[in-house]
Order: sequence, then structure tokens, then C-alpha cells
Amino acid sequence: MRVLIVDDEALARSYLVEQLAGVADVEIAGQAANGFDAVKMAEELPCDLMLLDVQMPKLSGFEVMELLGARAPAVIFVTAHDEFAVQAFQIHAVDYLLKPIEPARLLQALQRARERLHDPLPDRATLSGQVALAARPPGQWLERVVIREGTRVHVLGTHTVDFIEAEDDYLVIAAGGKRYRKQQTLAQLETQLDPARFVRIHRSFMLNVERIARIEPYAKDSWQVFLSDGSHLPMSRSGYQRLRTVLD
Amino acid sequence: MHPILSFRGRFLGYLLLWVTFGALLAGIIAVTGEASLHWAELFAIPLAVLMGLQCLPCWYLVRGMAPDEVPAWRLVGTWTGTSFVLLSVWLGAATLWIRVLKAFDQIPLVDPGTLMPLLVFAGCVGVLLAMLGLSSSAASERSRDAERRALELRAYAREAEMSFLRRQLDPHFLFNSLNSVAALIGSDAIAARRMCLLMADFFRKSLKFSAQQTIALSDELTLIETFLAIEEVRFGDRLRRSVEVTAEAMPMRVPALLLQPLVENAVHHGIAHLIDGGEIKVRAKVRGHLLDIVVENTCDADRPASRSTGLGLANVRGRLESMYGIRASMDVENTPGVFRVLLALPASPTEAPSARPDR
Repeated sequence: MRVLIVDDEALARSYLVEQLAGVADVEIAGQAANGFDAVKMAEELPCDLMLLDVQMPKLSGFEVMELLGARAPAVIFVTAHDEFAVQAFQIHAVDYLLKPIEPARLLQALQRARERLHDPLPDRATLSGQVALAARPPGQWLERVVIREGTRVHVLGTHTVDFIEAEDDYLVIAAGGKRYRKQQTLAQLETQLDPARFVRIHRSFMLNVERIARIEPYAKDSWQVFLSDGSHLPMSRSGYQRLRTVLD
Repeated sequence: MHPILSFRGRFLGYLLLWVTFGALLAGIIAVTGEASLHWAELFAIPLAVLMGLQCLPCWYLVRGMAPDEVPAWRLVGTWTGTSFVLLSVWLGAATLWIRVLKAFDQIPLVDPGTLMPLLVFAGCVGVLLAMLGLSSSAASERSRDAERRALELRAYAREAEMSFLRRQLDPHFLFNSLNSVAALIGSDAIAARRMCLLMADFFRKSLKFSAQQTIALSDELTLIETFLAIEEVRFGDRLRRSVEVTAEAMPMRVPALLLQPLVENAVHHGIAHLIDGGEIKVRAKVRGHLLDIVVENTCDADRPASRSTGLGLANVRGRLESMYGIRASMDVENTPGVFRVLLALPASPTEAPSARPDR
């Protein structure tokens, strides 16, 4: 079993290394000190299991899982916080370990991982949507969106997003003059974004209301929304009504 | 406590009032020509003093009957009844007193019957005045009581709030630190021991300081140093710190554990989110009557301010407000990459007059 250790604290990593050294069938595939490295290593290195911290700089453990999507190895979360456990099991984490880590508990988690590797979950691909949903901190609206482009990872604060367009089975997220593609449906993202800021103005458009410059009628029952950067988006009748309830 | 009997001065003043009342009565008797002034004085002044003494116990009756708690009919009934009894006893005593004076042959001429209407009138006036005086003093005592209770309540509420606000140590700090200890035991036993001692030191100081309203800034700084030393074990090079506090500022009193949550925020919401870490700066100096304190940290410019930082800051603001009112201020500067909290509080090297609610 090849294990990738992900934690931003060097001591926490060395503790895991030390504990895993005594386990016969475990081989340490690598160590990552942040989420970006974790995504990269999980894809490039052959590894079966990831021991993943939740709270790390820039990318949380859940965001790492979201970026990896179906390519993610089995995961055991390791954190001092107990409040993410529900989220963790929602995305089918093998186990959830609390710091300080109890060696016996770690061995137990490894055993569960062995079982999982023998008998993997049926369809990893359908999980990726749930993973994205779980990446949101409990009881809060999404504060950032993670996007990968080839080997690069972008972390966009939701306040920087201008609008989101649905195209086929992916999204185009426009932020600060750039456009990013993300594998997700608009309906999924809509449930995660603050409804006071993002409004579905059209079947395939969601708009950050702070970017609205003006609204002009276009045809019967349709409008055009001009953004502060000069671009414009179509707005449907129901979109117009949703926007009015938010702005009033 | 009796408002008159409990104080010698007030008691003498009270008696003097009744002597004056008696003298007045004597004057009236003399003017009406019933007797000489000398006799009238001998007769009226002791009687007036007797009236005063008679009225004293009524205090207990008056105090027990707050006008807004007792029905009016009971109030009127009790007062009339009491006045009637007081008056009857007093008139009886007056009649007796005339006899005694006569027996000693002090009276050239006087008929108790002719004096009676005047005595009844004087008695009524006396009893009425005494009752009014006692009721007004009972009313003022009641309002003083109510005010004191309200103050006490406010003080208790503040106290409870204070202890709640002080109790905001993050348990994850403990768990993460213990994880570091567990890690160090395998690799560096001496560092593990040092970490245990640092943690013991930190918790002992926190407990000790949290029992106090205010502590010297230098004490708060030792607590912060210990806290940062522990976090340095966890974060290694990622955590850098600098403390610049003038010697003048060191002995100034600050609310206990006021800065610690700010520094804790700086670590958990600032440094912890930076891949290459950052710096925490604590600065303090005295400026005129004010103690200026700045806690500053590097932070991730892309990351929106978290809600829990807001809560921690609101707690600090609340504590400053409840201790100093408008004499203290707190400002937050959130520029991209740097988060700064600026505090200004009254500079005082002694226990601030903070326990006293500001009025």
C-alpha cells in the first residue's frame, strides 16, 4: 500500500512517517506540505492512499479531493477539528482521524483502507459532484472556487467571479477578465453560492450582482445585462424576476 | 436601619426640631393669654419632645408599606389608625402633665378644658408632619435600594460576560500542540520535554491572569511569547515574530488576556494560511494619556476574512467597551496581505478604575 502524506506541518508529517515505518505492507509514496503539491503528487506518483490534513494554506483537504475528482486515491482525513467528519464521510473517506493521532487508531484506519482497496467503491465518477458539494465549509456559502487547468490549479475567491456560464457538461467561470473551465453543473454550483450575490439570470448564466452596470430591454420578455467591464449577458423573464427579488 | 435613631447627630437634630415645635406651641398659648410664657414653655416643650419620640417607631410601619405596593385603602386606614392612637396617648399625657404641674403649684391659672382644642390641633399637625417626614425618608431609602440593586445586577452581568469572553482559548490549539509533542517524543525527546513545559507554562499563566481584571502589559507579553514559542514548534520557519514595546508601556495595565486572542487569530487566520508563512508584529507605546497597541500579521491576500476572526475581534471590542466605555478604541485595518488591529486604551500603571461601571 503506497501512502501519500499531506500536512502543512513538518512535525505532523514526521509523526505519520514514524508511525507508518513499523507497518509491513505500507510504503511511503511521498509527502506534500500543501494542497497544490498534494494534487500534483497524487496524480503523478503511484499511490493508493492519502493521509490528508483538512486545514492547510490556500487549498483545504476537501478542495484537494475536489480537484482530484475521480482520480483521487482512497483518503483518510487527519485533523485536530472534529467538525468536518460528516463532510468527510459524505465523500466516502475511509476514515477520519483526530490529532493527536493515536497509533492504534491509525492502524485500524489502515486496515479499513486495505479493505477498501480490495473492494473499491462502485462508481467513483458519480462521487465527484458530491465531493464538490462537501468542499464547502459547514453552514457557509462557498468562499472560493478551485479550478484546474492541466497541471495548474487556480483558487478563485467567489468575490472575484463576474459571471458563470454553462456550456455542455462544464462551466465557464469569468473572473477578472479571465475565463476558467470547470467540470461541474450550474445547478450544483448554484446551491453552494451565496444567493444574495449570485443570481441565475438565465438557464445558462449566473451573475455576480455586484458587477451589474445597467439593464436594458432586448425583446419581449428578455433583457440584456451590461456588466461594469462592458460585456453583456442575456436575461430571461424568470431571471429578471429572481434578480428583482434579490435587489429589492 | 432607622434613619434617625441610628445616627446620634440626626437624633439630636430631630429632637431640636420638636423643641422648636414646642416653643412655637408655647408662644401660641402665651399669646392667647391662657398662661405666662414661662409656664407655657415648661408645659409645651416636653410634650413636643414626647410627640417626637412617639413618632419614631412609626418608621418601621412606613418603611414596610411602599405606596406603590400596598392598596390605598390599607395605606389610609393604617395611617389614620396610627395617628389616632398616637394623638390619644399624647393628649392623655398632656392632661396628666397639666395635673403634675398644678400639683407642684407651678400654674397660676389654667383650665385643661380651654387648652384642649389648641392641643388637638397642635397634635394633629405634629403627627402629620412626622408621618410625612418619615414617609419621604422611606421613599428615598427605597429608591436608593433599587438603584444599588440595579448597579449590582449590572456588575454581575458584566462579570459573567467577562469570564465568558476570557474563556475563548481554542481547543484545537491544545490538540495540535499535543500532536506536536507526540511527534517529538519519537524524534527529539528533549524538544518534546521543552514543549510540555512551554504548554504547562502557558496554561498556568492563562489561568492565573484570567482571574484578574487587568494585568501589566509586560505580563500579557510573556504569555504571548510563550504562546508563540509553542506555535513555533508547530509551524517552524513559517512563523516569524517581532515584539517592539517601549519600556514606558511595559508596566501599563491592560485587560487580562486581551492581546492573546488577537495573536492567536494572527496565527490561525494569518500565518496558518500562508504556504511560506509570515510575520506577527506586536508593538506598544504610550502616547499622552493613551496606551497604543498594534497587533499585525501577514495574511493571504486572496482569502476573504473569515467569520470566526470577526467573532474574536467582537469579543475584544466588547471587553474594551465594558471596561473603559468610550475611553478606549479599536480599529481594524485589512489591507491586502496585511491584517492589523490597533488598540488605544487609557494608559494607567495602576489597577484601572475599570471595575466601577461608568456613569
